[in-house]
Amino acid sequence: MRSGIFFCQVEENNRLNINAVAKYAANLPSVEVVREMGIHPRLDAKDLAKQIQADNLQRIVIAGDMPGYFKPVFAKAMALAGHDPLEVRLASFREHGASAAPTLERAKAIVACAVFGVPFALAVMPAETTVHQTTLIIGGGIAGIQAALEIADAGKPVCLVERFGTIGGHMAMFDKTFPTLDCAACILTPKMVSILQHEMIRLLTNSEVIAVSGSPGSYRVQIKCRARLVDVEACVACNMCSEICPVEVPSEFDAGIARRKAIYIPFPQAVPNAYLVDREHCLYVQSAGKKCGACAKKCPKECINLDQKDDFIEMEVGNIIIATGYDVLSAEDIKQYGYGMFPNVLTALEFERLTNASGPTGGKIVTKSLRLNKRSKKEEWVFDPHGEAPKNVAIIHCVGSRDQNFNSYCSRVCCMYSLKFAHLVKEKLPDANCYEFYIDMRAFGKGYEEFFERIRQEGTFVIRGRSATVSQENEKMVVTGEDIIRDKLIQFPVDMVLLAVGLIPARGTEELSRMLGLTRDEDGWFSELDYNGNPTDTERGCVFVAGMCQSPKDIPDAVAQASAVAAGVLRSISSGRGIGHRGSVTLSDIEARAKSLQAK
Amino acid sequence: MAIRVNPKIIDDLAVYGAEDVQLCYHCGNCSAVCPHADEFNVFPRKPMRNLQMGLEKKLERSLEPWLCYYCGQCSEQCPRGAEPGETMMSLRRWLTSRYDVTGLSRLFYRSWKAEMIAILVLALLTGVAFFLFGMLRGDIHVYSGPGAFLPSSAVHLFDWSMAGVLAALLFVNSLHMWRLVFGSKDGPKPNLFMYLKHLPQLPWHFLTQNRFRTCQERNGLWLIHLLLVASYLTMLVLIMFFLPTMQSGPEIRWTVHTFGYAASIGLIGATIFMLHGRLKKTRTQFQHSHKSDWLFLIMLVYVALTGVLQHIAHRAGFPVAANLVYIMHMMGVVPMLVLEVPFSKWSHLAYRPLAMYLAAVQRDALLGRSSQGGEILAPRRIA
Repeated sequence: MRSGIFFCQVEENNRLNINAVAKYAANLPSVEVVREMGIHPRLDAKDLAKQIQADNLQRIVIAGDMPGYFKPVFAKAMALAGHDPLEVRLASFREHGASAAPTLERAKAIVACAVFGVPFALAVMPAETTVHQTTLIIGGGIAGIQAALEIADAGKPVCLVERFGTIGGHMAMFDKTFPTLDCAACILTPKMVSILQHEMIRLLTNSEVIAVSGSPGSYRVQIKCRARLVDVEACVACNMCSEICPVEVPSEFDAGIARRKAIYIPFPQAVPNAYLVDREHCLYVQSAGKKCGACAKKCPKECINLDQKDDFIEMEVGNIIIATGYDVLSAEDIKQYGYGMFPNVLTALEFERLTNASGPTGGKIVTKSLRLNKRSKKEEWVFDPHGEAPKNVAIIHCVGSRDQNFNSYCSRVCCMYSLKFAHLVKEKLPDANCYEFYIDMRAFGKGYEEFFERIRQEGTFVIRGRSATVSQENEKMVVTGEDIIRDKLIQFPVDMVLLAVGLIPARGTEELSRMLGLTRDEDGWFSELDYNGNPTDTERGCVFVAGMCQSPKDIPDAVAQASAVAAGVLRSISSGRGIGHRGSVTLSDIEARAKSLQAK
Repeated sequence: MAIRVNPKIIDDLAVYGAEDVQLCYHCGNCSAVCPHADEFNVFPRKPMRNLQMGLEKKLERSLEPWLCYYCGQCSEQCPRGAEPGETMMSLRRWLTSRYDVTGLSRLFYRSWKAEMIAILVLALLTGVAFFLFGMLRGDIHVYSGPGAFLPSSAVHLFDWSMAGVLAALLFVNSLHMWRLVFGSKDGPKPNLFMYLKHLPQLPWHFLTQNRFRTCQERNGLWLIHLLLVASYLTMLVLIMFFLPTMQSGPEIRWTVHTFGYAASIGLIGATIFMLHGRLKKTRTQFQHSHKSDWLFLIMLVYVALTGVLQHIAHRAGFPVAANLVYIMHMMGVVPMLVLEVPFSKWSHLAYRPLAMYLAAVQRDALLGRSSQGGEILAPRRIA
């Protein structure tokens, strides 16, 4: 068959030399014509048909970043030329990851597979390797926990590494889950306890992976276990050390709205249920043993050792699952909403802790009150359980999401948790007015649209139009916005503003991607192998992604993906064959395999 | 009433400068942040919506673009980069071409080549006419007094007749604007009292640009603009009423020349500020420059500089040079005024105050109607 290759790009790509790919493509068997049509070519079916007839082409291969875009016009041209319009094949650089590491080789391979008529994924089969039984999971949030339990329940050893002092991740901070309004802790804490008690799971909290070497199936991993300074086994969480500790800092677990001591337990149900010392703030550690040390003297179990040193563990693992989750965009950067300026403008995580029964107010929704800080002699805005309840609460969606000045992507969970907030406000303060400012309501999941309807019926004012500013007038916060459906500008005083702040990849994601040689997309999330067909594997063999670190997703999706990852891991362990790096497959390997597949 | 949709209007407006309207996803950020948007005029989002939907007639009779002074806040905060501020600017250009009954405005806005040709032709005609007039009637070695090359009385007469023609054109176009705004059958119908009540708004907005002041707080250019307007008005008064005094004799007459110098400095300073800003794109407002913006500024600076040069040559005692520069000056003044005042950017000197006035009248007329529409959901705008 006489084939013609047409290179049609949609976007400029400086990293890919199309000319080199075209030269390579001209030497492929059956290729008669190679044409570079440039970026976003204006194609005319009649002109193309003439060209096709002149060259007598029986098959067309469209190569480019989004070749499907041009398929209709080529199919029409083929029909006009009197050839079979079905003989139009696509070589999609974007779909098959030519943006990943060895770009040129990958692009050549993609074109070759299209010419041979072999699906790219079939032709690129990395060599299979033997697999070590142990699986390393980085990140102990809901995704990491779920994957660890799945694998461990199947009888395979797991090592779960968590940076924080407890597992649970962000989900442990939440009060309720949407749309079922289940208690988040009731779902999560049993799983957390199972992790600790599971004989196949080795849990390393307060630890970080610092180096990875080796090859798929047998990675050597170095883990730094930061000194906890408290013996996990002996500690009974009696709280006496914390009572005597003189240092107070904002609590990470409470999103900064409450304070904790330098020796602390993140929350009462923490796993492992033991205290730890924040060495950056501990007087004893900072003064190299000259000051304080009160907690060690007070501890009845004598389990505090403030001189403990970091521990380094090396281990061999077969598969690595990345479940590092997300962080929240810094709301201070988004000036128009006055976060940091007005005390009662809260981020979603802060409100999540405020309304949580284990939070600083015991779950009472109150506005901040002015209190004198005895130590610094300054007045501070703090949450007090006896504070005043807000009468008007505004919830602003898409803060820093879908905004080219911040994150251009949708953070996916904000619409639904904002609706959940409206419910929580209405439930706890039935007389309060609640206003939701949204751009588009993304209630995409099972039961989500119904949840939206329910919130509306509960009496929340749902306003289409993103509020633009929060300002202060006469000591009252005032939100301004446009009610697009009712065609009105609105401006009214509120007592509390909740910002549905967008999500970003967790701190350290870049480091980890460099360590493992993983690619990330333009927003910083880890790239999966194939968005549709293989959303859990990565370019690197035996390395998987689960949960938020791949893209923003809600809890059900994160859990589902974690289970899917577990299936992939177990497949490789039980078959004894792990899949190598996609990047290690050379062009000649792919050509040879494609030829042999074509012959079949 | 059936509404005619013109799906091509959005492409049409791209020629006038608004290229990113399609990006808008209607979050309402721009309207909420705009210091001028109010209950009756919700913009810039609504005009953007109308553009996307091709509601040409609605746009044609809207005053909203004129209520915007382009502080740029909306464009800065726009999450989509849809440039609402620039869209309003482009709508003003488009409206100017709509108001213009001759169709020349449309031609000039759409083709800068046509505008250039018109400028050159007018400049040449002016130059030749003045030169011939001077050669026939006067002596090129005399600048002022009897036997002058271009006697100020003749120039004065020419100025007044040109002003009359331009004012008439602008008046007709303004009348057309009024007809578009209040001409539709279902639109608000203000009564005479409403028209009279708000009449003081016309000179008020013309002289102070008070609304622009609100933008000043938000990265605005009110003071510079006011300086430009004040200088321009001073110059206009000097030329229309005191031209003979300004041009006679070798001695400086402080009564008029103080004003003349101040106005010249103001004109040149403000124009160079704008040119520099547009070149370096120092502000949001200066990010996108239409060809007509450049032409306007270049002509303005040319006219101001030749005016100054002419004055220097005259005072320094070079009558020939002064006369020649005078002709060059007129070759700039005539095309600038003829093209810009009724057909292009400068027409906003009439349309803007008129729009503020009409908007006030329209608001009264709308308030007079029985209130309609659904219940008020959220508390209304507080005082």
